[in-house]
Amino acid sequence: MSSSAEPQRLHPVAMLLDLLRSIRGWFSVTSLPWLFVAFRDGIDLSSIGFLLVLIVVSVVASAVWGMLSWRATLYSIEGNSFRFRRGVLGRNERTIPLDHIQSVDIVQGVIQRIFNVVEVRIETAGGGGSGRGEADVSLPAVSRPVAAELQRSLAPRRGGTVAVAQPDAGVLTVEVPEAPQPVLIRRLSMGRLLLAGATSGQIGIVLPLIATFSQLFDDVLTPEFVMRFAQEQGWLPNSVAVAVLLAFGVLLLAWLIAIAGAVLAFAGFTLSREGDSLRIQRGLIERREVTIPINRIQAVQTVENIFRQPFGMVLVRMESAGYGANAGVSTTLFPLLARAEVESFLKAAAPEFAVSPPLQSLPRRALRRYVIRSALPALLLAALAVSLLVWRGLSELAIVPLSLVLLGGAYGWLRFKGVGWSVDRDHLVVRYRTLARTMAIAPRRRLQSRSFAQSPFQRRVGLATFSAQVGRGLNLEVVDMEATDAEDALYRLGPTSAPSQH
Amino acid sequence: MRTAPRERLDPRAKQLWRVEGAITSAFLLLPAAGATLFLSRVVEAPTYLAALPGLLWLLVAVLLVLVAPGVRWSRWRYEILETEVDLQRGVLFITRTLVPLARVQHVDTQQGPIERGMGLASVVFYTAAGPNRIPALAVQRADEVRDRIAELTRVRDEL
Repeated sequence: MSSSAEPQRLHPVAMLLDLLRSIRGWFSVTSLPWLFVAFRDGIDLSSIGFLLVLIVVSVVASAVWGMLSWRATLYSIEGNSFRFRRGVLGRNERTIPLDHIQSVDIVQGVIQRIFNVVEVRIETAGGGGSGRGEADVSLPAVSRPVAAELQRSLAPRRGGTVAVAQPDAGVLTVEVPEAPQPVLIRRLSMGRLLLAGATSGQIGIVLPLIATFSQLFDDVLTPEFVMRFAQEQGWLPNSVAVAVLLAFGVLLLAWLIAIAGAVLAFAGFTLSREGDSLRIQRGLIERREVTIPINRIQAVQTVENIFRQPFGMVLVRMESAGYGANAGVSTTLFPLLARAEVESFLKAAAPEFAVSPPLQSLPRRALRRYVIRSALPALLLAALAVSLLVWRGLSELAIVPLSLVLLGGAYGWLRFKGVGWSVDRDHLVVRYRTLARTMAIAPRRRLQSRSFAQSPFQRRVGLATFSAQVGRGLNLEVVDMEATDAEDALYRLGPTSAPSQH
Repeated sequence: MRTAPRERLDPRAKQLWRVEGAITSAFLLLPAAGATLFLSRVVEAPTYLAALPGLLWLLVAVLLVLVAPGVRWSRWRYEILETEVDLQRGVLFITRTLVPLARVQHVDTQQGPIERGMGLASVVFYTAAGPNRIPALAVQRADEVRDRIAELTRVRDEL
C-alpha cells in the first residue's frame, strides 16, 4: 500500500489552513486602507455594515475556494516518481523522480498541532543535466501515519531500491522494503538546552532591537524627567548610576530573550539515524522534523562562538549539497557539544567526518600580513577622523580612532592565531576565526575544486592562498600558507587516479 | 609548481576584453564627470582637485582597455587533463584552479553579443559549488572543449 498508485487527497484540515491563509492575506492587504479611511472620515454605522458584508463575502468565497483547491489537489507515487497535481482553474502537475528528492521534512505548526496533522515538505534538487532546481512541494495537511509512510517511501535513496510487484501464490503482493528502525544518536538535555541559549550569541541580534525600542521610551522618559523623579525619591544619586542600571537591565532583557529564542528553536532536539539518513526533531511550539541523507552532507563545521569558547563548547553544523542554481543548505546537526565529544558524536552520526588531526599553524611571517590587513581599514578611517578632530580643535579625542587601529591589529593577531589546517589522504580540515572560531571538515571526494592563488606581495615572501570549494557559498580558504604547503595541498587533494607528474 | 596548463585562449580574446573594457569605461564616465562637475560648480574646489575624478577615470580606462587585456590573455591557460580541468588566470593575483571532472554536473557553451560578433564562445561547466568558465575560445574550439569535458564527465570515478 505504500507505493500508492491511487492519487491521494490531503487531510481535510488543508481546507481550513487554506482558508486561514486567505483571510490573513486579505487582512494584511485591506486593513491599512480601512484604518486610513476610518481615521480620516470617522466610523459610522453604514461603513461598518459594508465592512461586515465584505468580510462575510470574502470568508465564504475563500472557504469555497479552499474546498475546491482541496478537491483539486492530488498526490501519488507512481513507479519511480512522485506526482503532485493541483490548481482549480488551471491544472498544475509536477512529477519528481524519487532520485531527485533531497529531503522529506515534517513540520507541525500550531493549527496543525490542534488537529494532529503535519505538513510534509519535499525538497528536491535538479540533478543530472538539467541544472535548474525543481521547486519544492508542500503538502500542508497530512495525518501522522500517512506522513510517516510518505517519508519512508520517499526517503532519498542511493541505489533506488524500488518496491517490486511479484505474483506470489496467485496473489499480487508488493514487497515493501522494511523501514529501518531509527537509532537514537543523541538528545539535547535540559541543562544543555539552557546553556545553549545562554551562550548562543543571539544577544548581539536582540540588543539592537531592544535599543530601537528604547528609543521610543526615550521620548516619554526623558533623562531630565527620570533624574528629577529619581532625586525626588531620594534614590539613585547620580546619572551614572541610572545609565549603568539601565544598560544592565537592557543587557539582561536581551539575554533572556536570546535564551527563550534558543529554547523555542532547540527544545527536545533529537538526532537519530535511520538507515542512510539522519533525522532531526526539534522545536517547542512548532515541531520540526528533517530527514537528510548522509551522502548529501558535503562538510561538517564545528563553531565555537566567543561565549562558548571558555566552556569548551561547540555547535555542530552540516552543509549539504546544492545542485545547479540551487544553493546548498546549512543545518544545525547538534546545538551544543563539548569539544571532546565531537569526534565520537560524528563517528555515530556521519563517520566520514569523524577525524581530528593535529592542525598546522601558519608561518610566523604571515602574522605581519594578518595584522596589517585587519588594521588597514581602521587606519584609513582613523587618519580621516584624526584630521577632522584636529581641524575642529578636539585633538585630545584623537585617542579614540587611534585605539580603534590597535583593536584592528589585535583582531588580525587573533585571526592569525585562529588559523589551522590539515591535509591528509582523505580529508581537508580548515580552522578559521571571524569572531567565532570555526573548524570545517571536508572529505576529499566532496571538494568541488581547489585553487592556489598568489598576489605579487605573497609571491615575494613565498606565501600563497589555498582554497577549496565545498559547496555553493562554502569556500574553505587558508590565506598566507607556506607556498610549498599550498601547492602540496592543491595536488594531494585531487582524484587519486590523477597522473602524479604532468 | 607544475608547469602551466598547455592551452591558451583565442588571440581575439584581447580585442574582446578591450571592447568590454571600453564599454565599462563608458559607463564609469558618467559618475566621474558628475563628480568633477560637482566639485567645480557646487563646491567650487580648485581646478586640480576638480580634475581628480576625471584623471582617475582616465587611469582606469587606460588600465581596462590597454593594459589588462594583454596581461590577462598571456596569463590565461587551460588544459583538460584525464581526471581534472586545469585553469590558470589572473592579472595581479594569479590563480591556479583544478576541477575534478567527476564533480562536473553539466557543461554549456555560451555566447554574449560581442563574442558572437567575433566568432568566439565561452565554455561553462558547473559543479555543485557553481560555474567555472573558460572564456573567449573560437566557436569550433569551444564546441570541442565542451564535448571533451562532457565525454570525460560521463566516465565518473567516485574516488
